[in-house]
Order: sequence, then structure tokens, then C-alpha cells
Amino acid sequence: MKPLLPLAVLFFAVAASAAPTVTRLTPPSELFSSGHAEPVIARFLPGQRFDLQATIRPDAGRRITTVRFAVDGADLEQTVSLRDCASGCVKNVDPASAIASLRAYSLNKPGLHELTVKAVQDDGQAISAKGNFEVVPFKAAFGPKIKNIIILLGDGMGAAQRTAARLIHGYAQGKAVEALAMDTFPATALVKTASLNSIVTDSAPGMTAYVLGNKNNNNEEGVFPDDTVDAFDNPRIEYLSEYLHRTQGKALGVVTTADVFDATPAGNAVHTSDRGAGTGIVDQFFDDRGHTGLSVLMGGGRKWFLPASTPGSARSEANDYAFSATDPHTAEIARRWGVAAGAKDPERDLIKDFEAAGFAYAATKSDLDRASDAKALLGLFAFSNMNVALDKINGRRGLKTGLQGTVVEDFGLPDQPMLDEMVDAALKVLDRKTQGFVLMAEGASIDKQAHLMDSDRWMLEVLEFDRAVKRAQDYAARRGDTLVIVTADHECSGASLIGASTVSDAQLRELARAKGVSNLRDKVVGNYEKAGFPHYKLAADGYPETMDIDRRLLVGYGANADRYEDWRTSKTPQRDPQQPFAKAEPLKWYPATPSERDAAVGEYFVTGQVPGESAVHTATDVPLSAFGPGALSFSGVIDNTDVFFKLAQAAIKGVTAPADTSGAKRPAAKP
Amino acid sequence: MRRALPAVFFLASLLALPAGAVRADTVELRFDELIRKPVGPRGLEFSDKLLGAQGRQVRIAGYMVREETPRAGSFRLAPQPVGEDDDESSDLPASTFTVLLDPAQSQRFVLNPKGLITIEGRLEVGRQEAPDGRVSWLRLQLAPDALTLTSDNKP
Repeated sequence: MKPLLPLAVLFFAVAASAAPTVTRLTPPSELFSSGHAEPVIARFLPGQRFDLQATIRPDAGRRITTVRFAVDGADLEQTVSLRDCASGCVKNVDPASAIASLRAYSLNKPGLHELTVKAVQDDGQAISAKGNFEVVPFKAAFGPKIKNIIILLGDGMGAAQRTAARLIHGYAQGKAVEALAMDTFPATALVKTASLNSIVTDSAPGMTAYVLGNKNNNNEEGVFPDDTVDAFDNPRIEYLSEYLHRTQGKALGVVTTADVFDATPAGNAVHTSDRGAGTGIVDQFFDDRGHTGLSVLMGGGRKWFLPASTPGSARSEANDYAFSATDPHTAEIARRWGVAAGAKDPERDLIKDFEAAGFAYAATKSDLDRASDAKALLGLFAFSNMNVALDKINGRRGLKTGLQGTVVEDFGLPDQPMLDEMVDAALKVLDRKTQGFVLMAEGASIDKQAHLMDSDRWMLEVLEFDRAVKRAQDYAARRGDTLVIVTADHECSGASLIGASTVSDAQLRELARAKGVSNLRDKVVGNYEKAGFPHYKLAADGYPETMDIDRRLLVGYGANADRYEDWRTSKTPQRDPQQPFAKAEPLKWYPATPSERDAAVGEYFVTGQVPGESAVHTATDVPLSAFGPGALSFSGVIDNTDVFFKLAQAAIKGVTAPADTSGAKRPAAKP
Repeated sequence: MRRALPAVFFLASLLALPAGAVRADTVELRFDELIRKPVGPRGLEFSDKLLGAQGRQVRIAGYMVREETPRAGSFRLAPQPVGEDDDESSDLPASTFTVLLDPAQSQRFVLNPKGLITIEGRLEVGRQEAPDGRVSWLRLQLAPDALTLTSDNKP
């Protein structure tokens, strides 16, 4: 037998290379990837639409001629589009590979289903592969359907970020003086945040898991991964907004303090594998408003809405989208999903298009105050991300902490609304929607400032965010038919509340002048009982009079980049590289990186555990709080995708749990 | 994978020039004179001074952008020391200067000098789109003598 072994190996090697191979089957499954039926990766609601797709590599010199999909053994009759990879595919994919797609499939029958793809090569050889997915049934309802859903997303807001905001509200002998609004929510869960391709998610799949019920790859939103380079042709999954608009006529509101093309806002309505494809993302917000019910869109990002010839515009054909009228690979997206085909139109005046479609446009808070509740609303208050809460508040207080005035004056945008004001405006518009709404409001710069390890700025972001939570909670309490969840897409920076300064602010400044770790760490950092209770004083506007108090709260970072630390508030924010007018003189002298920020003061260098200049996201679970009918269904340690099914259940069939521990079906009118 | 650099140059005229070294016809650009503030409800408005400097020699300070894949024949100048190793959502400012080497130097790569640098070049104002879709509104065309071969790479 021994001499036969090489021949046997050769035989199997030849056999292996002489058959076409299915290299990808979508929806993703462990059954396809590893042969194990569990865990089930892809789950959908009854009737929720999604694309089926397979990549098949033929033998050398051959091509794939036909592909069929089957579910539970029954062939599907819908059109299957085929394209090859002669061009437009990612590296390492054989150019002869065929990509087969069946768009906008759905299934009502609950349970685990087997997906089969069957392909035939031009010499008659056939190949098949199997995967699986689950249709999650609705449960019997405990209470009525909810009318409205409000998702408040503190980007990067882990437990430490929440606690820090509460500590600023004050503690006395171990008891919180004033709870955060989100602390008063009756239900809490811990959420697992991993994405489809990493334990550490970014904001795109971190958001979409909540509103798709499925895992996406990092940097991708509303789609499963594929083998093409086209950012807009990936297999789609229907969003909560699309599903509820299609089935119930609900409207969608998206509010953020970031650029509206950013991953979190886009991850409620836009389908792309490139979270940076700004032009196409904002176009799709508008083009498919009839499918998402988009009625409110607010934040920064004006640069994507201006015709390319307008100074400050960042519109580009290169990151726009357009589906072919003739190539079925993308033509089927428009045909089967019933969505816009898009166009490469850098000269498009998207603000004008919104206005022509009946939207009111606000460029400032003053505009927002004047906007009619009766009209849909577009608010673009900055060219990229909006200024952060600390700088907006200092601007309102007239504190000239910028280089030529207030920071917001330095940016040329002195009249920006706070997040709670934006949420108020959004609720006024959405409250008129007779079929209800889904509102996602994001405190974006909790994450962005945590990346920069600017502790005071992200702490005020959480305070601003919590004021928005309060507005939403009051609305939900008043109505009784609105479910509110407060959560995060992931934690950012490994923020850790290590204690408090043991010295006054004046002494801290002295120690910074004395420099070095022996002064700024050893003589400052108080832990355990030496930390005591920092006492911030809140002004009438609800924000601390100053963050530079005596015996201030101190923050360490477990996912930090190199930085210098002097503990005190930086007068100016990090320069934002997305600001199209960041060349303006006042910004020139802003510190550019965390390591540069405090370099001139103190010389207390903290070595980073990650490369680069920014702290990073972590894989740590994040808290979720719920208020309103069905709130108690959010408990335990849950997957981020579970949230989607709980929200849909409450909206489609009715809630499955009480609003609070009293057993009531509706929340108390006065939280 | 980083592209191998066939030859690395540094800019002879980059490091901060003493005021006396500025040519008489060079326009000193102050950043607070570039954009009208507060910004209006739509696009940016460039100042008359900036627009008036089009086609002229200007002098401005900034940071050379650290590129994941350096490009031959050009680099970019930003108001802060940013890099390109972040994902696509961390776009550079639309107003980042694209600094163009002399056409005869189109295959050359420029060494990234650390810190704030001062650049002199001929100013172009107007939209120009790079192949990767990034838009620049301001460009500086360097003179042929702006580059000097570094000692490490001298033949």
C-alpha cells in the first residue's frame, strides 16, 4: 500500500482542483464556513428582506453558466443575476469567478432554514454548497404595540463614560446627588458588541446590529460583505426603518452631532460597504427617503450637500453611487428593492433637492427655532462634525477660549444647537406622523473625544447626551406609547475613572510647571479614600461652571495611544481634520494630537498600549437602558442583534414584558 | 505594503524662512483672511485676498501629511500633522493644499519633515479632484529648485 500513497494524494489533488468551488455564500453562516450548524449567524424577521449571494470559482479555462438558489430544498424562482470578476473584484478572487445574486428575498416561515446554492460549469460539472439562516418568530404579546421607537446612541459610551457624567452631577457620602436621566430607566442589559469580522467593532456594524438584526463587517453598513470593489452593490439587509415604513408607514428621524454621513447615522438608512463614501451616502439618504420614511436629518456634513463647484464642497463622483440599467448585478437592486438607481452627480445641489421635496432647511440654531413642525427637516450645522458640547457651551457663555474669540467663532459657526435642542425639534416634527416613527439620535463625540483622550470634552458630551435622553424620556412618559433605549455601539478608549486629584487646581498648575511623573502623577493621583468626592458646580445651563475644579475627577485609559497628561482642560479642541476650513488661522495653532496637546505643560508622558495617535475602541460590553412599554424585555447579557428583534416585536406584535417592575404596561407619566 | 522609494528628497525651501528671505512679490497668507466668517448657510466664501493671490507666489505654514502610500510628484500640506493611515471616514480637510512638484520631478518622493513647515509656491484656487475622489480647493506649485537630494541617497 505504501507506494500507492503519493498516487492517492495526487489523485485527490487533481480532483480538488478539477471542480468548481463556492468560495462565499451569503447570508454568512457557520454551516458554510465551518460545517457547524451553530451558532446561527444570520437571523431575520418574518418578511424582512435580504439578498442571497454566492461567489463560485470555476475550473481553469471554464466559466459558470447557471446558478440557482434553494431554501429548504425548494428552488427559488426569482431572477439570479450573474457577473464575472474580469474586473471590479477584490484581489485574490479569480477573474473567472462568478458572483450570483438574488435580490430582496424574504421568508415568512419561522425557524432555521437551509440555503443551498447550485452552480453549473460550461462543461456540465455541477457544484453545490449549503448555509443556513433563521427567521425569528414573533412572540405572543403581553401588552399593546408601541407606536414610536427612540434609539439614543452614545457613541463609544461605556460604563465608565456614563459613570463619569454621574460623578459630575455630584456624590455625597457615597450617594449620587442627582441621577442621570438614563440612570432612571427601569431596565438595563449588557450588550455584546462584536462585529461580523472582529471582536472590536467600529461604529458602522455597531449601529447596524441594532437596526438590522445582523452582524456587518467593520466599515460596512446595511450590507453583508462581498467580493467586488463597488461600495454600493453588496448584499443588502432591510433596516428597521425600511421594514417598519414598508409594513406600517412609520417615519424615520436621524439626528447626530457628527457629520451625517458618519457611520452611526448612515447605519440607519444607507447600504454601503464603504462608510467613507460620503457623496453616495448622503444621496442615498435622500433618494430612498420613500423607503425609509426619512423625515428628519440633522447634524454636520454640509460639505457633501453642496454642488461640487461650491467652495467647501467635498462631493465627488468617485464616492457616489449609480446602479446600471443594463447590468443585472446592480440593476436588480433597483428593480427588486424598488429603490433609486442613483447617479454620479457631483454637481447635485442636495440641499435644494431636500427643499424641493418639502424639507425645511436649517443652517443654524436660529433657523431651527424658526422651522415649521409641519415640514420635514434638514439641519446641517457644520461642514463636517459639529463642535463639541464644551465648546458650544463656552460659546454661549461668551468664554473666549479660542484664539480669536470663542472656539465656535474660530470655526465660523457660532450658532450651533445642542443635541437636546435637536432632539426636541426632531420630536416636534415626528410627533405629527400618524403611523409613528423611529428616531435615532447620536451623541457622536463621546467617541471622538475619547479617541483623543480629551477627558473633559467627552464628559461634557455625555452630559449633553443625557439632556437629550431626558427630552426623549419626557416625551415617552407623556405619550405612553413610545419605547426608548439608551445604549452605545461600543466602548471607546478603555476609559477608567481612576480616582481624583488630591490637590487644588492652583497646585495642579504649579506641579505642571515643576513637570514630570514625580509631580504630575505621584503628587496628584488620589485613589481609594484619597479620591473622596469631586465637587463640580453646575451652572444654570446644566453644565459645570468649570471642569478645572480643585480635586478634580481623573481618568486613565486602557486602550490609549502615547500622550502627555496634565489633567487640566485643554482650552481649544483637537483640530478636526474633516473641517474643510481648518486652514483658517485660529485653527492653525490648535494642538493636533493628544501627545502634542499637553507636551508644553508638565512633561508627564504616558506610554500608549496601541500604536498611532488615538485611543481605540474596545471589545468590552456596553450598558443598555430601556424606558417605556416593554422596557423589561431588555435584561441580561444580550447580543447587539437581539435588540433589533425586541424593538420589532414591540412595534409589530406588541410588547412582551412590562414597562417597569410594578408590572404596568405603560411607563409612569412622570419619570 | 509601502511602495519602495527610488529616491527621497527633502524640500530645500521648506524649513521656515526668515522674513527677509521672502521675495518682495510673495503674498503672505494669513489664515484668518482666507474664509469669511461666520460661515453662511451654504458654501464657504473665499476672501478677496485669497482670490487675489491666485496665480501668484504665496507663503504659508502647515504640516506635511503623512501618507500611507506616498505619491510621486506631489504631497499635501495640512494645518495639522495628520496621517492617512486612518479609515476613509477620517478624510483630510477639503482645503488641504496639494503641493505639486515641478513636472520634471513627477517621479520623485518627498521626505516628510517633522513639525510646522513654511511653503512657498504659486497658488491655484479652485476645485480639483484626485483619482481617489478627494477634493482639493487650494494648490501650490513648487519651483524646480524646491527639492534637494538628501545626503543618504546621493549617488
